[in-house]
Amino acid sequence: MILKIKSKTEPYLYSAPALIVIALVMVLPIIYTVYISFTNMNVYHWKDFKFIGFKNYQKALFMLDSGFLMAFLRTVLWTAVNIILQLIISFLIAVLLNVKGLKLSKLYKTFLMFPWAMPGYVSILLWKMGMFNTEYGFLNHLLQKLGISKINWLSGNFTAFVSCIILNLWLALPFMIMIIDGALQSVDKCYYESAKLEGANFWNQTRYITIPLIKPIIAPMVMMTLFTTFKQFDIVYLLTQQNGSKTGADIHTVLTYAYENAFITNNYGYSSAVSIIIFLILLVYSIFNQKDIRGEA
Amino acid sequence: MKKIIASIFLASVIAGAFSGCGSTVSSSSGAENSVYDSQSSSGASHEPIKLVVWHETTPEIGELLQKEFDKLKPDIEVEVVKKEKMTESLKLAGDSGEPDMYFFAHDKIGTFAQMEIIAPVTDFISKDDLADMLPMTVEAATYQNQVYQAPIFFETTMFLYNKALMKQIPKTTEELYNYAKENTKDGVYGFLEQHSTAYYVAAWMHSFGGYIINENAEPGLNLSGTMEAVEYHKKFVEYMPIDGDYQTLSTLFLEGKAHSIIAGPWLIPNAKEKGIDIGIASMPTIDETGKPLMSYSGVQGISVMKSAESKKEAVAAALKQILKPETGIDFAKAMGSAPANSKCYNDSDVSGNEIIMNLKQNAENAKPMPNVPEMDVMWTVTENMLTSVNKNNDDIKTECEKAQKEAFEKIEAMK
Repeated sequence: MILKIKSKTEPYLYSAPALIVIALVMVLPIIYTVYISFTNMNVYHWKDFKFIGFKNYQKALFMLDSGFLMAFLRTVLWTAVNIILQLIISFLIAVLLNVKGLKLSKLYKTFLMFPWAMPGYVSILLWKMGMFNTEYGFLNHLLQKLGISKINWLSGNFTAFVSCIILNLWLALPFMIMIIDGALQSVDKCYYESAKLEGANFWNQTRYITIPLIKPIIAPMVMMTLFTTFKQFDIVYLLTQQNGSKTGADIHTVLTYAYENAFITNNYGYSSAVSIIIFLILLVYSIFNQKDIRGEA
Repeated sequence: MKKIIASIFLASVIAGAFSGCGSTVSSSSGAENSVYDSQSSSGASHEPIKLVVWHETTPEIGELLQKEFDKLKPDIEVEVVKKEKMTESLKLAGDSGEPDMYFFAHDKIGTFAQMEIIAPVTDFISKDDLADMLPMTVEAATYQNQVYQAPIFFETTMFLYNKALMKQIPKTTEELYNYAKENTKDGVYGFLEQHSTAYYVAAWMHSFGGYIINENAEPGLNLSGTMEAVEYHKKFVEYMPIDGDYQTLSTLFLEGKAHSIIAGPWLIPNAKEKGIDIGIASMPTIDETGKPLMSYSGVQGISVMKSAESKKEAVAAALKQILKPETGIDFAKAMGSAPANSKCYNDSDVSGNEIIMNLKQNAENAKPMPNVPEMDVMWTVTENMLTSVNKNNDDIKTECEKAQKEAFEKIEAMK
């Protein structure tokens, strides 16, 4: 009997330190944000804030206007395009890295990790000045050498969106490549040998052996990337929305939209309510995703 | 305590929402600096009273402040501490008794006063102690008829030009426009300005009688003066790089690819380093109104935390020290900054400094940046409007009206 209780409680005891840390750094802040979202904590009521019921949520839902809807749809598009491109490109690069007889493949891998090692903030500003800048950017230099007039990359909605996607790919590909590369190496080579004996070409090998076998490894990674891409803030904000250097493109995502419409108001109650709504959207999103992944695996 | 914990969690959640963008809000509640916890002023008379001053700027300014405060020894010991993310930390510091004072620009005092974090300096010193200050600097420090800052020095934008390129300095904006038109070619620009940044365009609005927001926190983006200014200013944009951000413009000027620029004094040392023979001129006058461009000014100084009320005498002594002409002169000599105390200008080192004297001249027309909390949302609203007008060629009246409406909505959302 004692043994039984022990065997039941022991796992919890062992994981208690980790659970406590998670509760402190993740669960408590969420609960506290929920609490704040029901109060009027703001510049005018910093020390004497009180419970005001659902008023902040009413205001937050008012923010969910056509602008927010557009931002939401744009975010979905942004996430989808990014994920698809990331998967295709990193799969191709990973396959190339695993070609038999490729020399210096370790060196290439190290180079490919480089964007990941750099702080994102720095990378983004470097791209902004070094690549897209109208006066000094590499792209416009290139155009001028070719005799084409300068383009203001970050100003038009379409070019700005594409620029952001390219930059996001640059930042996110290393992670994908690394995981897919690892997954590819875990596939038993004997499958390919027998496939070759049967006369399967590269396409058929990829379709019937590689993809089904690496899918379970890639699935969780895709989900993680989905989230990070969905809540990507830095790229869009720093490239196009930064105060003092707004470019005129309106490519707000959910988060930059919320930032511009709620977080700059210094109204903590209201901002918390907006955060909770975004949190709920992400929660719904993740439930759907988890179902998908379970279905696939 | 409850509030501190609460605030830390809130901060971490907001920080979490922007994970990766590097805006982690400092969650320091002053606990780590508890060594500085002061004894109460009622302590034994031979024990020095300790004060803590936070700042967020360069080590040089920290040292200068420390040097001034050290003159109060042995009765009062002041510790100047550099604090990262100071404005966030101040909100959380609240009642913890740390710091007692801080050094910062004047434009946050409205927010802090409204949050009841800071106390008026006139709770500690009399209004007469501020009599020698330039009127603009006291105006900057005033929020709802109370003075919240002991000013030390101020900054404002100025008209800078490259002597090697610009021989005749335009006196009026029409002259400037024609100059830009003639001299902008082959990647070289006649005149540069951060044309879609609210901070800079405000100067044009003021000269036309418009404004972004007034001292009663009323937005003025659809005033006729504001709209006229935006319309008149737009024609200059045609001869400037469309990017118009600080990095691009300063690089152009520093590489000798621009004849003139409206910028802050902080550009001057860089230009000299790059070997540019830099000239400083008065702001051009707008032909139509006969008024020079009236830039925003920022006043740097010391504000007092509400929690420091128990150390009244020590704080008063520290503030009086800061207001002495010698403080302003020391800062001017070390950094070339323009003193807030008018008596400083009797010093030959100060009056002999071209940059400082130009700043002083501009200060007569300059408008202090609004210090009302509502200004926080106005930056974004105004810049969205300017970007639409200047970069996307949207209709000025429509955009100004839209921005004004948006300003009211955002101000409402603050409450």
